[in-house]
Amino acid sequence: MPKRNLRGGPGAPALPILLLLLLLLLAAVPVDAADTVSVDVGAVYASNEGTSIDPALGTIREKLRSMFNYTSYRMLDRKRRSLSVGETGEFDLPGRRTMRATLLPARGDKVRLSLQISEGPRKLLATTLGLRRGGMVLVGGPTHQAGVLILLISAE
Amino acid sequence: MDCGTASGKIAAKADGLLPREAEAELAAHLAGCPSCAAEDAAIRATGPALRALTGIRAREKAPALGAMWTRVRAGVEESRETRRRFSWIARWGWIPAAAALAVAAFLFYPAGTDRSPFHPATFDVAVEEVDSDAATVALVDKGEDLPRVIWIIEDAKT
Repeated sequence: MPKRNLRGGPGAPALPILLLLLLLLLAAVPVDAADTVSVDVGAVYASNEGTSIDPALGTIREKLRSMFNYTSYRMLDRKRRSLSVGETGEFDLPGRRTMRATLLPARGDKVRLSLQISEGPRKLLATTLGLRRGGMVLVGGPTHQAGVLILLISAE
Repeated sequence: MDCGTASGKIAAKADGLLPREAEAELAAHLAGCPSCAAEDAAIRATGPALRALTGIRAREKAPALGAMWTRVRAGVEESRETRRRFSWIARWGWIPAAAALAVAAFLFYPAGTDRSPFHPATFDVAVEEVDSDAATVALVDKGEDLPRVIWIIEDAKT
């Protein structure tokens, strides 16, 4: 009588698949240390080309419409970096611009960020902000194509 | 035919090896030789006696053999059932585990790749200092329920 190999057959890929998923999970789960802050930067292209508003903007869509006179808002890019105090994260922005964010010491649920936005050698902006965890500030104005860039900067 | 030759042919006949043409010659000898006829009769009676003895022993051992066969069948069935059960687990058991891991990865997937819509909790921001080498910077504050805006007016482009 031929003997069936229980470890073969359709059940065989189970272990590699489980290991792969476990590795994905471990790689995906952020280390949520109390002294780290997740800085989230969304680059929005605001223009008068069309009337569409990107759903990815969430609840900020209506705020943008009420604050600016543009008819179209489109998210071009979004990046997130986890920073610890003293650490600097660099964000590439559309139009060969870059933003460097450094987390400064703060108390309680406050977050202090030093931001520097550059376009090549030109320093467009250097600022120090104090915001609460979960808070957001907008930095806008740099021209992009037929409109401007608006950066949605939040910290959690 | 002498009795020695007849004895060999009697044995060959009992083993079924005696050619048919030699059977008549042996029969003629047996008809005239009582001792060889007695030997032939004894050998012919041995087979049925052995068969009868085997039958008796088989009947004696039948209950024990039946019980042993029942145990063997039960063992075979149990082994088959166990194999069937583990085969099922090996084939499908990974699916719930994989699904749980996938859900966990989906829930916690995040840093650097988060694409969930923006839902800021507060717009309470203090601008401690502002500086620019190449632009005029304006602070725009339209109220607590609206985000504060730092607006860069690029000098070279305006």
